[in-house]
Amino acid sequence: MRYDWDFSPVWRNAGPLLEGLGNTLWLAGWSILLGLGLGLALALLRLSPSRIASVAALVVIEFYRNTPPLVHFFWYFFGLPIVIGVSMSPFLAALLALSVQSGAFFAEIFRGGIVSIETGQWEAGRALGMSEARLMRRIILPQAVRRMIPPLMERGFELVKTTALAATLAYGELLYRAMVIASTTYRPLEVYTAVAVLFFLVLFLASLGMRRVEAVLARGHR
Amino acid sequence: MMDYEFDFAEILLNSDLLLRGVRLTVALWAIAFGTALVAGLFLGIARGSPRALLNWPATAYIEVFRNTPVLIQLVWFYYAFPVLTGLQTSPFLAASLGLCLNSSAYCAEIYRGGLQSITAGQWEAGRALGMSYWTLMRRIILPQAIRRMVPAFTNRGVELAKMTSIASVITVHELMQEARTLATQSFLPLETFTIVAVIYFVLIYPGTLVASVIERRLHAKGGQ
Repeated sequence: MRYDWDFSPVWRNAGPLLEGLGNTLWLAGWSILLGLGLGLALALLRLSPSRIASVAALVVIEFYRNTPPLVHFFWYFFGLPIVIGVSMSPFLAALLALSVQSGAFFAEIFRGGIVSIETGQWEAGRALGMSEARLMRRIILPQAVRRMIPPLMERGFELVKTTALAATLAYGELLYRAMVIASTTYRPLEVYTAVAVLFFLVLFLASLGMRRVEAVLARGHR
Repeated sequence: MMDYEFDFAEILLNSDLLLRGVRLTVALWAIAFGTALVAGLFLGIARGSPRALLNWPATAYIEVFRNTPVLIQLVWFYYAFPVLTGLQTSPFLAASLGLCLNSSAYCAEIYRGGLQSITAGQWEAGRALGMSYWTLMRRIILPQAIRRMVPAFTNRGVELAKMTSIASVITVHELMQEARTLATQSFLPLETFTIVAVIYFVLIYPGTLVASVIERRLHAKGGQ
């Protein structure tokens, strides 16, 4: 079948689409920040000597890693307001769902990185009379962070892709804007293709950047 | 804060609805995973091939599907693909198509990594014995490579199981879609989405456990 491509609806709506892309990145940025904080807290709880804290963190981490993010979007948007008695904006619900979900993944990366440092490093630090906190800050983390950066970035890209789910809550990110434009212009093929290209460009450029960072990290270390 | 009476009984009364959803979720997962395990092998080989004619299209395909959100892929196959081809796709067909193509791209990368991890000496030895490419692949390379790839494939299966929920956005009546219907009908979104999250967890967590057990066992054997 012949089809006449017509991208003019996309160009005419370039403003709202780019604004949507901005909203996507805004949501992703805040979710990554909040997720990193949550993830670090969860990882420290997980590694803490307190059994209750460690098991509680494990339950949260495993639950969020093994359930679909879309369920959490709906849970935070429609479910949580019933418990706390405050209604949620789509942005807030998406932000919470994304940060808790990615926090669970970040926590495993933090934990894995810290655990990967050989016990000899701990022993040497202790032998020098360093306190646990100081040892963590000066010896363990600087080495562990290097190993954590590539998987953290990888997770960050996953998160950017997951932000598209916020469209189901009618948050005005890129995909939602595209859905509105597609239904008013009757040009779904062009609009969705353009949006896929936009996402691709952002993520592909970011992953090229990541490869550079990985190369730099590898050069500095063996 | 307000006091809230949880009403899980109402949701459990509708368990047949949710069970029907689970069946479709499992069907979507099985179709996409089965396809991806087969298609991924050929794509992975093409991706690792030195021939540009094989390598370039495979690379482009894999990068496109890995660098765009799966929700956009499903929406594209449901709303845009019919415009292009003139073929009307049902929600289930569009979702299966999107998930198959997406998972194939990820599985291809697993195959490529696994195949590259086999040392060149294995290839040379096989060729020296006069084996053809496919015999060598089937009898020497794949049996060794697949053992190393199992944890990655299991993780992919887990990711795919979570992805199937996105099919609800294009109205496939899998678990998530049934949950949305139930939440609106019963006016009990909190209970519904909590129960559905638990159902997903029960379905998916065994996969994660299996992956970590296999991974540990491989490590114990020195990773080979």
